[in-house]
Amino acid sequence: MQKILEELEKRRARARLGGGEKRIAAQHAKGKLTARERIDLLLDEGSFEEFDIFVEHRAHDFGMADQRIPGDGVVTGWGTIGGRTVFVFSKDFTVFGGSLSGAHAQKIVKVQRQAMKVGAPLIGLFDAGGARIQEGVESLAGYADIFLENTLASGVIPQISVIMGPCAGGDVYSPAITDFIFMVRDTSYMYVTGPDVVKAVTGETVTHEDLGGASIHCVKSGVADGAFDNDLEALSQVRRLIEFLPASNREKAPARKSFDEPDREEPSLDTLVPLDNDRPYDIKELILKVVDEADFFEISAEYAKNIVCGFGRMDGETAGFVANQPMALAGVLDMDASRKAARFVRFCDAFNIPIVTFVDVPGFMPGTRQEYGGLIKHGAKLLYAYAEATVPKVTLITRKAYGGAYDVMSSKHLRGDINYAWPTAEIAVMGAKGAVEIIFRADAADPEKLKAREAEYRDRFANPFVAASLGYIDDVILPHETRRRIARALKSLKSKELTNPWKKHGNIPL
Amino acid sequence: MFEKILIANRGEIAVRIIKTARRMGIATVAVHSDADAASLAVSMADEAVRIGPAAATLSYLDAEAVIAAAKATGAQAVHPGYGFLSERAAFAERLAAEGIVFIGPNPRAIEAMGDKIESKRFAAAAKVSTVPGSLDVISGTAHAVKVAEVIGYPVMMKASAGGGGKGMRIAWTRAEVEEGFTAAQAEARGAFGDDRVFIEKFVSEPRHIEIQVLGDRHGHVVHLNERECSIQRRHQKVIEEAPSPFVTPAMRAAMGAQAVALAKAVDYDSAGTVEFIVDADRRFYFLEMNTRLQVEHPVTELTTGLDLVEQMIRVAAGEPLSFGQEDVRLDGWAVESRIYAEDPYRGFLPSIGRLSRYAPPPEGTYDGVVVRNDTGVGEGDDISVHYDPMIAKLCTWAETRDAALDGMARALDGFRIEGPANNILFLSAVVDEARFRSGKISTAYIAETWPDGFHGLEPTAFQADAMTAAALAMQRLQGLRNGNGKAFRSDWVVSVGTIKRPLQVRVDGAALEIAIPGERRTLRLDGIDWRPGGALFRGVLDGKAFGASVAPAAEGFQIRMRAATARVLALSPRSSELHERLPPRKPKDRSNRLVSPMPGVIVALHVVPGQAVKAGETVAVIEAMKMQNMVRAERDGTAATVDVAVGDSVAADQVLATLA
Repeated sequence: MQKILEELEKRRARARLGGGEKRIAAQHAKGKLTARERIDLLLDEGSFEEFDIFVEHRAHDFGMADQRIPGDGVVTGWGTIGGRTVFVFSKDFTVFGGSLSGAHAQKIVKVQRQAMKVGAPLIGLFDAGGARIQEGVESLAGYADIFLENTLASGVIPQISVIMGPCAGGDVYSPAITDFIFMVRDTSYMYVTGPDVVKAVTGETVTHEDLGGASIHCVKSGVADGAFDNDLEALSQVRRLIEFLPASNREKAPARKSFDEPDREEPSLDTLVPLDNDRPYDIKELILKVVDEADFFEISAEYAKNIVCGFGRMDGETAGFVANQPMALAGVLDMDASRKAARFVRFCDAFNIPIVTFVDVPGFMPGTRQEYGGLIKHGAKLLYAYAEATVPKVTLITRKAYGGAYDVMSSKHLRGDINYAWPTAEIAVMGAKGAVEIIFRADAADPEKLKAREAEYRDRFANPFVAASLGYIDDVILPHETRRRIARALKSLKSKELTNPWKKHGNIPL
Repeated sequence: MFEKILIANRGEIAVRIIKTARRMGIATVAVHSDADAASLAVSMADEAVRIGPAAATLSYLDAEAVIAAAKATGAQAVHPGYGFLSERAAFAERLAAEGIVFIGPNPRAIEAMGDKIESKRFAAAAKVSTVPGSLDVISGTAHAVKVAEVIGYPVMMKASAGGGGKGMRIAWTRAEVEEGFTAAQAEARGAFGDDRVFIEKFVSEPRHIEIQVLGDRHGHVVHLNERECSIQRRHQKVIEEAPSPFVTPAMRAAMGAQAVALAKAVDYDSAGTVEFIVDADRRFYFLEMNTRLQVEHPVTELTTGLDLVEQMIRVAAGEPLSFGQEDVRLDGWAVESRIYAEDPYRGFLPSIGRLSRYAPPPEGTYDGVVVRNDTGVGEGDDISVHYDPMIAKLCTWAETRDAALDGMARALDGFRIEGPANNILFLSAVVDEARFRSGKISTAYIAETWPDGFHGLEPTAFQADAMTAAALAMQRLQGLRNGNGKAFRSDWVVSVGTIKRPLQVRVDGAALEIAIPGERRTLRLDGIDWRPGGALFRGVLDGKAFGASVAPAAEGFQIRMRAATARVLALSPRSSELHERLPPRKPKDRSNRLVSPMPGVIVALHVVPGQAVKAGETVAVIEAMKMQNMVRAERDGTAATVDVAVGDSVAADQVLATLA
């Protein structure tokens, strides 16, 4: 017995060393932690329980028979964050470059299935070179098995991917299916084909960073949802995000004690909207002054900045916030903003998180770039997402709500539960100037007359009262009481029950 | 006495004047530009009149608009505050012609003293010792160089109509005269609508000490002691005090006598200030006379017990002074800190934007320290590009200089501003700095104390301990709130910036006992006053009360105490070990990017793509708040891209050009 125990400890120690001390040192020198070190920081101390530490690959070709390292390039298991169970897999770059073998894939699939059974979030930490080429199709099969589990888990448990090193080829599609992707600046990149292949196929010369670094995916492509300065900050922030989320779609979002009075007044919000209605202001100030303790976890902060998405809490309970941002492109809805917000709204709806929407939108972005890029379908995604969402929806129009964009932004007509407006709200088909130029085309030559008409149009529509008189706005509220009104509205909607017609699934305009 | 007066100004000084007028039972009229329509001054005044768009030249500098407002509202007198129309004789004359009283000196005194060239001629005739310089207006760069060579470098180029440090430039070489003269003229034109510039010898190592005078319309003039105004950056005062730690009673009497004599010589009949340059041997030279209320007048009020605005109103109404020189008191010590929207980390460049948070410390008397805060803004107000970026004047008074400065440090701790960059951290650093505390200061104090610019301070030993204790306490309270901190662990490693210490922590009721084994001592944190989400942490560490500004960081907390800011992490030993495995990242070399140091407008570009650029060469000129700032290349190179054009509005940190 003693001998077996000694053997067990020896094997464990061997497995914990992964690819060996030299490779671990190299990993540190690159500014990266190892797979196990990352898990230690991600989970509550001492809570990690590892699965499959002794699993080895089964390949014999190309000399692989002699190279076996227990664990086979991925560390899997479960533990807790803030006392709540999560499942985790962490790619070990020191073992075969973290490449994916059949055995490696089976380990991941095991935690994926376990997370689904239990109903707990799954977090994947990526730092790997792609497929284990020596294994051929077995490796490809392993990828597909993982993709399938990711897909089945989508909307059932929160899935989070953190890219902490290379993530290329087949490895990118598992993160791509998950709910949120975070990246570490300067040390991570993800792409389908790397710079060498790009060069060979298109002749284009490009660096890893410029092809798939955080500066690309968190800013330009929108593939990833946030970037952090190093492994430590990334893992700390993933812990923070998990605290906002329910464990699965069977649970409500977690509630915690709030030290922030739900009826706190913010007099300065009365001057947030500038007198000149073309001047921008920072909608994040409104969000930060409305949520508990100014604690807001923003998603995709650097991408499609004309819309702000993220999680906050109202009187202790998680809510998703979507807000047009007048500081960027006047808050217009374009392809990127529509896609970003649509995905966020669907996440909230899938996980029982109420949605608070702040509207100040001049419309959809005009132009050939947008139309050729399929703005119609992208805009429709956001429309569809809001329309199908059955979670509590509270909407506040702070200023402009023009045209189709008014309809899209969680309007009454899309089953908005409580729709508020500030006195500065303007709900109209378009801005006064544009409207008058069309309605009174005959007066086009007479600027004086047009100006008078414009003032007339503005008087009629540049206020919330027409919409309120039709019941499209439930109440006009004062900016300084916004937090109290929204907190109350959400409280009143806690027992909301609403279901969509039965279907296998809808056909969102992808 | 007047029944209604108009205040031809904005911001804190308008509010200040309204307060006194209201106390005296006088109705007030505020005038405002479009940018100030919803300002504190407008809301406090009994009436308000719009006088033009945001630009000062079209509103607060529009004398006719102000006069029309006074006539329309039936105001009997106009208080001009400082800046704007306060030192324009023509304005005072126009008011007189309309039968409206100007609450300030008579136009002849303004004319004689207000113009710096005129005043120097006058002072010279009155045998007041002055600094060597040219009494002539400089006609152009060639003339400027000629005069500078005669006087000898360094020289100062000053706007004739200037004041408050605007339109002043020092040149140490001929090349700097050549480069700076046109800019000085342009600034003078932009700021005062008057591009006359003169040149004088720049006295190095000087102190700036000024005497407050007060005259009435019956020939009486008294002085109200001095103010020490040597703490300046970019020739603008930031901290003033009364009295001066350098002035002896005999010197005070001598300076006062000269100031009074000068004032009497021009029949001075209001509040005014005679500025002196004082050298290390306590010799003083007349510099100029400001024929208006000074920004820093509150320190005189706090030490004399007088209300200068009230005195100005009374003498303007024809009342004789109710006291003589022998009645003037000098009680205790008063300090003023000017809270500016400016970035001390970037050479004090002005900042703008909405005050998303603005919470000054409460006014009143606390433990023998009087706290007074003169401000014209509230939370949600804008600091705009159109006007001076001063947010508030925070003053403290106590029996002694040290007590007043200690009080100032505490008051600054309790001042919370978010939105524009501000100089509170810097003011805290000065107030606690050893040389400043010793009183051995000069106008070069800031440049000499922080020769490479101000970059914040490292925490002191006590501050590092307090930050450590605060981080542990916050960690515990957050854990308790989240329901997973029932058993607070005992072994911790806390890092404050680069200092990292293993600790043993014991919870004792509401207090924490923190043992530092490496230093064989134990800290005790009591009186913890903080709740999750709070921005201010208060506690008592080993019997000493402290406050700290706290904010969550991407990892751990960002904590500020006084002028020290640090990232503070409370970690388990295992987590600490893992933190040590990551080498610190080298910041990326960004010297190839030329960025705008502040928001403003590009007024000149001296580079095109492909052009070779030498380190130190001016690449672009940005104008903001009427100041021109040169953007210089940090290293040699060739311009790869030029990303802006003349006339563009740029944001702070915006890339203007890149070097290859």
